[in-house]
Amino acid sequence: MTFSGEFIAFMLLALAAVIGGVLLLNLTNVVHMIIALVFTFVSIAGIYILLSAEFIAGAQILIYSGAITIIMLFGIMLTKHNDTSEGKPSLWRRLFLLLGVLGFAFAVYIGIYNLDLAPQTNHLHENNTLQIGKALYSKHIIPFELTSVLLLVALVGSIILAKKDEKGGE
Amino acid sequence: MIEDLLQSNPGWANFGIFFLLGAVLLLVVLGFVTYGILAERKVMGYMQLRHGPNQVGGRWGLLQTVADVLKLLLKEDIIPKLADRPLFILAPVIAFAPSFMVLATIPFTDKFQFADIGIGLLYYIAVSGLTTIGVVAGGWASNNKYALLGGMRAAAQMISYEIPLVMSVLGIILLSGSLNLNDIVEAQKHGWYILLQPVAFIIFMIASVAELNRTPFDLPEAENELVAGYHVEYSGFRWAFFMLAEYVYLFAMSALITVIFLGGWLPPLSILGFIPGAVWFSLKFTLVLFIYIWFRVAFPRFRADKLMEFGWKVLLPIALANIFLTALIKTLFFS
Repeated sequence: MTFSGEFIAFMLLALAAVIGGVLLLNLTNVVHMIIALVFTFVSIAGIYILLSAEFIAGAQILIYSGAITIIMLFGIMLTKHNDTSEGKPSLWRRLFLLLGVLGFAFAVYIGIYNLDLAPQTNHLHENNTLQIGKALYSKHIIPFELTSVLLLVALVGSIILAKKDEKGGE
Repeated sequence: MIEDLLQSNPGWANFGIFFLLGAVLLLVVLGFVTYGILAERKVMGYMQLRHGPNQVGGRWGLLQTVADVLKLLLKEDIIPKLADRPLFILAPVIAFAPSFMVLATIPFTDKFQFADIGIGLLYYIAVSGLTTIGVVAGGWASNNKYALLGGMRAAAQMISYEIPLVMSVLGIILLSGSLNLNDIVEAQKHGWYILLQPVAFIIFMIASVAELNRTPFDLPEAENELVAGYHVEYSGFRWAFFMLAEYVYLFAMSALITVIFLGGWLPPLSILGFIPGAVWFSLKFTLVLFIYIWFRVAFPRFRADKLMEFGWKVLLPIALANIFLTALIKTLFFS
C-alpha cells in the first residue's frame, strides 16, 4: 500500500492539530494552554495549504497564531498568571456535558453523512489571492464593508473604555 | 528543479534530498551568521576608532566567532530552579524555527529558490510573527522580572511595527499586482521599487530594524536597563539559539529588502547583464547588511514611550498616505 505525500502531510498536520487541542484542554497552566493553541492554529494553516487555500493559510498564521495569541498572552501575563484551572466539576454536570457532546457528535454525523457537495469548478487554486480579492470587492462588497465598520466600532469602543478607566483612577 | 521534486512521488529518496538541501542551507546560514557577526564587530570597531577582533585567526580575527560559538557549546546548560521547565526548553526552538522557515520563500536568483509560493511576501511576514511567541514564552518561563519585561517589550514592539511594515509593502503589491516574490522581481525590470516607492522603502527600513530588535529599537534586550532582556536566564546552547534566530532574521530581512526594493538578482543596467544574477544579489545584499550595521553604530536607543508613539503616530499614517497616493497614481496614469 502506498501513501501519497498529501496523505502523509495531512495525517501529520491533523495529528498535530488534535494533539494541540487535547493539550489545550488537559493542561492546567494557562500559558501552556496558549502555546498548545498555537500548535493547533499552525497545523490548521498547514491543512489550508494542502487544500490550496494559500491566502487563507497566510492570514490564519498572521492573525490567529501571530496577533491573537500574543494579545491573549499579554492579557494573561499582565493579570494573575499563576492561576490554574479549578477542580473537577460535579458528577451531574459531567453527565450533562457528556450528553451534550454526544448530541453534538450525532448532529454533526447526520449532517455530514449524506452531504452531497456538487462538484465545483476546479480552478480555485490558481491565483488564489486574486480570486479572493475579486470576489470580495465585487460579489461580497456589502458584507465586507459592514465587517470593516464593525471592526472600527470595536476599535473606537475599546479606546473609549480604556480612556474611562484612566479617569476613574485619578 | 525543486518544482519537479515537489510534484514527484513521495519516497525515502525524496525525503533524503529535501533533508540534504535543508541541511546545506542551514550550514550556509550558519556560515553567514558566523561571518556576519565578525563583520558587524569589525565595522563597529572601525567606526569607533578601534580595530575589533584581531587576535584569533590572523590579523582579521577570522576565527573569533568560531571560537566564541565553540565556547558557547561547551558551556554548562543552566535551567533556573523556579523556571517553567517545559516552556523554558521549548521557547528557543519556537523562536528559531520560524526564522529558518522564512528563508524557504526567498528567491536568491531566478533558479535558486526553495519554494515559489504565490503568497511569498505574506508568508514571510506571517511566519516571522511566530518568533514573538517564542520570545514572550522564553521571557515568561524564566520567572525573572527583567526577562518578563523584555519579553513584553518585544511583543509590544513587534506587533506595533509589523503594521507599518505590512502597510509599506502594500504600495509595492499594488504596483506589481502580485504577492509572489518572483513576480515582484520581474516587475522591477524597468525600475527598482526603491525609486518608485522611496517613502515605502524608508518606512520599511525603519520598521524592519524594529522587527529585528536591533539598535535603535533594541528595547527588548536593552543591556543597561534590563540586563539582557528576555534571555537573561538563558545560557550556553539555548542562548545561542536566540542569538541565532536574531541573525538569521537579519539575513532574511536583508534578502527580502534586496528582493522587493532593489530588484533582487536583476542588474541595475541591462548592459551589465553579463554578470551573473548571484553576484548582483550578493552585492545588494551586502549593501543592505552594511546599512543595518551602520544603523546600529550610529544611533542611540529610543525611549520606550517615544517608540510606540513613533510607530503608531508617524510611521502608520505616512504608510497609509503612501498607499493612498500609490493607488491614486496607479489608477490615474497606469490603468
